[in-house]
Amino acid sequence: MAITEERPPLELTSGDLPPVEVETLGVFHRPRSTHGWASWFTTVDHKKIGIMYGFASFFFLLVGGFEALLIRTQLAVPGNKLLSADLYNQVFTMHGVTMVFLVVMPLAAAFANYLLPLQIGARDVAFPRMNALSLWVWLFGAIFFNTSWFLGGGADGGWFNYAPNSGVVFSPSHGIDFYAVGLIIMGIGSTVSAVNLTVTVLNMRAPGMTLMRMPVFTWMTFIVQVLLVFALPVITVALLLLTLDRMFGATFFDASAGGDPFLWEHLFWIFGHPEVYIMILPSFGIASEVLPTFSRKPIFGYPFMVGSGIAIGFMGWGVWAHHMFASGMGPISVLAFSLATMFIAVPTGVKILNWMATMYGGRLRFTTAMLFSIGLVAMFTIGGLSGVTHAFAPMDTQQTDTYYIVAHFHYVLFGGALFGLFSGIYFWWPKIFGFFLNEKLGKWHFWLMILGFNLTFGPMHILGLQGMMRRTYTYTEGQGFNGWNLVATFGAYLLAVSILVFIWNVIRSYRAHRRNPVNPGPDPWDARSLEWMIQSPPPEHNFDEVPVVEDFDEFWHRKYGHDEQGRPVRIAATEDVVQKGDATGVHLPSPSYWPIVLAAGLPLIGYGVIFNLWWALPGVILMVAGIYGWVLEPSTDPSAGHGHDDDHHHDGDDSDAAALDEPADAGTADGDGEGVDADGSETAAEPEPAMATASAEAQDGGSK
Amino acid sequence: MPRKRKATVVALIGAAAILLGLWLIIRTIGQPTGKPLNTLAPFGQQAQDIQDLTIPVFSVAGVIFVAVLVAVIWMVVRFREPDDVVEGQDEPTQTHGNTPLEIGWTIVPAVLLAVLAVLNVQTLLKLDDTGENPIEVTVVGQQWWWEYRYDFDGDQAPEIVTATQMVMPTGRDVTVKIQSNDVIHSFWIPSLNGKKDAVPGRTHELVFNTENPGIYEGQCTEFCGLSHGVMRMQIKALPPAEFDVWLANMTKPPAQPTNAAAARGEALFVGQCARCHEVNGLTPDSTPPFSYSDEPSPSYGVEVDSSLSSKNAPNLTNFMMRQTFAGNLLALWEGDAATAVVAVPGDVPGAVPDKVNIKRWLRNPQDVKPMDAENNQGMPNLNLSEDQIDDLTEYLVTLGPATRPAA
Repeated sequence: MAITEERPPLELTSGDLPPVEVETLGVFHRPRSTHGWASWFTTVDHKKIGIMYGFASFFFLLVGGFEALLIRTQLAVPGNKLLSADLYNQVFTMHGVTMVFLVVMPLAAAFANYLLPLQIGARDVAFPRMNALSLWVWLFGAIFFNTSWFLGGGADGGWFNYAPNSGVVFSPSHGIDFYAVGLIIMGIGSTVSAVNLTVTVLNMRAPGMTLMRMPVFTWMTFIVQVLLVFALPVITVALLLLTLDRMFGATFFDASAGGDPFLWEHLFWIFGHPEVYIMILPSFGIASEVLPTFSRKPIFGYPFMVGSGIAIGFMGWGVWAHHMFASGMGPISVLAFSLATMFIAVPTGVKILNWMATMYGGRLRFTTAMLFSIGLVAMFTIGGLSGVTHAFAPMDTQQTDTYYIVAHFHYVLFGGALFGLFSGIYFWWPKIFGFFLNEKLGKWHFWLMILGFNLTFGPMHILGLQGMMRRTYTYTEGQGFNGWNLVATFGAYLLAVSILVFIWNVIRSYRAHRRNPVNPGPDPWDARSLEWMIQSPPPEHNFDEVPVVEDFDEFWHRKYGHDEQGRPVRIAATEDVVQKGDATGVHLPSPSYWPIVLAAGLPLIGYGVIFNLWWALPGVILMVAGIYGWVLEPSTDPSAGHGHDDDHHHDGDDSDAAALDEPADAGTADGDGEGVDADGSETAAEPEPAMATASAEAQDGGSK
Repeated sequence: MPRKRKATVVALIGAAAILLGLWLIIRTIGQPTGKPLNTLAPFGQQAQDIQDLTIPVFSVAGVIFVAVLVAVIWMVVRFREPDDVVEGQDEPTQTHGNTPLEIGWTIVPAVLLAVLAVLNVQTLLKLDDTGENPIEVTVVGQQWWWEYRYDFDGDQAPEIVTATQMVMPTGRDVTVKIQSNDVIHSFWIPSLNGKKDAVPGRTHELVFNTENPGIYEGQCTEFCGLSHGVMRMQIKALPPAEFDVWLANMTKPPAQPTNAAAARGEALFVGQCARCHEVNGLTPDSTPPFSYSDEPSPSYGVEVDSSLSSKNAPNLTNFMMRQTFAGNLLALWEGDAATAVVAVPGDVPGAVPDKVNIKRWLRNPQDVKPMDAENNQGMPNLNLSEDQIDDLTEYLVTLGPATRPAA
């Protein structure tokens, strides 16, 4: 919060207030630039943050994918010596952690950051600087975690790092230290982000956007954030105990000293199972946007889709010990968790049937996005069914820790989560970047990927049922694993090719766009939710005027009415419904230096904890500086220009906002756009700083 | 409607293709030959109980799998947007949902699962039976091999300590008490029963019962570090009479070696190997003439200096009674003797100890099984000379009844 002098009380303005002099006492000015490469480091714009999440996690997808290729190459033939057992153990551990924490979660976070404010008709998230903080904390944590490769080797205990094998006695390298500290750091980023997005959904919706009018993607993302808020503290506690055991000689997990390895197992899976839904629900949300759009039908059974999501969110907390059916925790626990796990299949099945009912009777357009979503429905069904088979605890004692499980969760996390995320990439790419990805290459990408995917992970069902154990660096002749492993390795290389096709698609489409820019327009797919009502790419202020929402699928209902058979009838041309993106002087939160400074301190502290506590000192100094800078910087810099006005209007000076900030909640929202000078006039600009400051304060206030 | 017919035809072809594929896989998936760890080829009562649950569950899941996939294929063809689409014509009806239908497909799977849940609970309770008048074997997992302790008189001091290959009688419940010496392992013999973790500080029970004599392969299935992937074991199930033969041989110490090379090997064993490995009665302090004792020392790993490697190493007293060694990675006998279902492998006609394998192990154990002796995990490379290796091998093959003098 800025320390400012007295100012008049908050009023709703008609634009006639006298100018108020605001003098900041903060020592620093805020950065002004919203363009150029440097602006990416100080931005608090949820869209830029989302894009950075996306590119960073795609980079890590390549890293984790390379690790996957190493695994598959090692296992292509029996007795392969490509990787030593030690290196193999590091590679599969790093692959798992990378794909979970550095790829699927942040890629979903990319969509959440970018789309959630757009889908609820907001101008940004509730706490924009905190949003930047979560990105940088996560990114620095992710880089920190991967530097372990150069500082003595990666973690080697599996992504679940069961104690006591993760103890310093059995894993003396620093890999697991990097795992523990890295995940604690990334967890801070995720927690901050989860709180931020939860508040955004609860408080920042456009007028009329009731909870039950929110798009399904927003709903699923909202559920995920709530899960994160409760799940991350559990893993943070577990990781802290692990760190204390490893570095300070504590004995939380040492049975010979009164500790208990089960403590880790329970803590890990109390986090670990909700984590599964944290990874899959965003993709469920994406499919629930894509399937209706390309079926030209609303989502079938919206309340059931939302309700089943909530049910999964709740039940997800009561099934963690199904990861421990073979652990020896006793028959009563096994029985209870076995039954609970069986019935979590019910809400999941509802989702699959509702997606199919959405397609039924529709007019299906097979864009790449649609193909990936249909792929999700089919592949996730396989993963879901195999999941039900090991909900039966007796069967699980034969299946767990075999490749059958590996097949199962790749069908869920790759065939489910990643297919959904690729669907989202193709779907929203024109919205985000203002050009299409090439559809022909996209289809090559899809077909290569679904073929490669099934060749890689389909045979693992058979391998697992025939007893091939997980996390094995090799197998031998005579175990009957040869043929299918070779097929799986071939499939993995096909998957790699499909990823290359995707990269080539991005490059080619971008080049084509540079040569001959053709804007896809605000609504290239004839879609349904609010983000399609604004220009592509969206202006920095998102909405010229905050829409007043009257219906689920608000944008669709502005375009179409219905005849008596319930068929859509065009009532308005899309061009007349969409916003022009030309509002000026919309007040937006200023960029800030401090999130990245604060975040940069964390990995330094991490190195300090691992190698030498003195090394943590610069990190602590950076963090303290970051916190003070954050607190002391003016909440908005009165001398800076805001909004996107420099894009379209270079006639103005750096006068301050002429508009209301985004409404703090639906109740007081300035729904009819009164606050926005839609005609671009900036002459009445002066009166607003008090308002602007007050609103920005409301936004940033919670971040203290 | 031709579109509808086309969709049906394509869906039928799809269904046929999926069913054909499934049939090709299912046809051979339960075969045990060449797949020693196959989970779908039960040879024991417990594994059979699990199989009896697996088949109905997989069948239901298979039907749903085929139905969903075929329905998706059908819809993809049936509702594909026509090429000559005109906006405003033949628009789809905007169905928002159908509450009775949705309640229906919430309840039907729930009921289906409730029925299967009954089977689930029955099987669970059946597997939880502790067994009638069972033989108890303590199984101790450690990096990266399994030790078996048989304590028949219940005095807490085992009469038999052996490794890698567990032996049990057929037709009788055998309760294994699973423990761990270091990290979490998991004891799993898929032909006989599901797996159970070996957790430090705990004892977990698992019951085996089989009518079928045989050698059943197993594999550690909880990630336990460097050599987890090759931490294997076997259970040999013998008819009761044969099992008694095995017991009689295992409770007798071998005879002292007679030839010179083996005697040199024994001295070498006392000097080098006995720091970790027990041959009943020999300790690093033993002096010639050596003699064996009848019972293993219950605290060998504790009393003996083990700064070189992990606290415990396999008891080798009746080494040649086993058919494999090195964590079940190497055969101890040439030819059929390594796989014959007999009490005494040396009795198999033409049985010859596989000295090549023994020497390979002694030359550099870490070449066979990755270990980290510097971190007290597994066996160090002792850098023995070829002469020493020859002597030691000559000694090791005397450890068992096969080479006992005919008298």
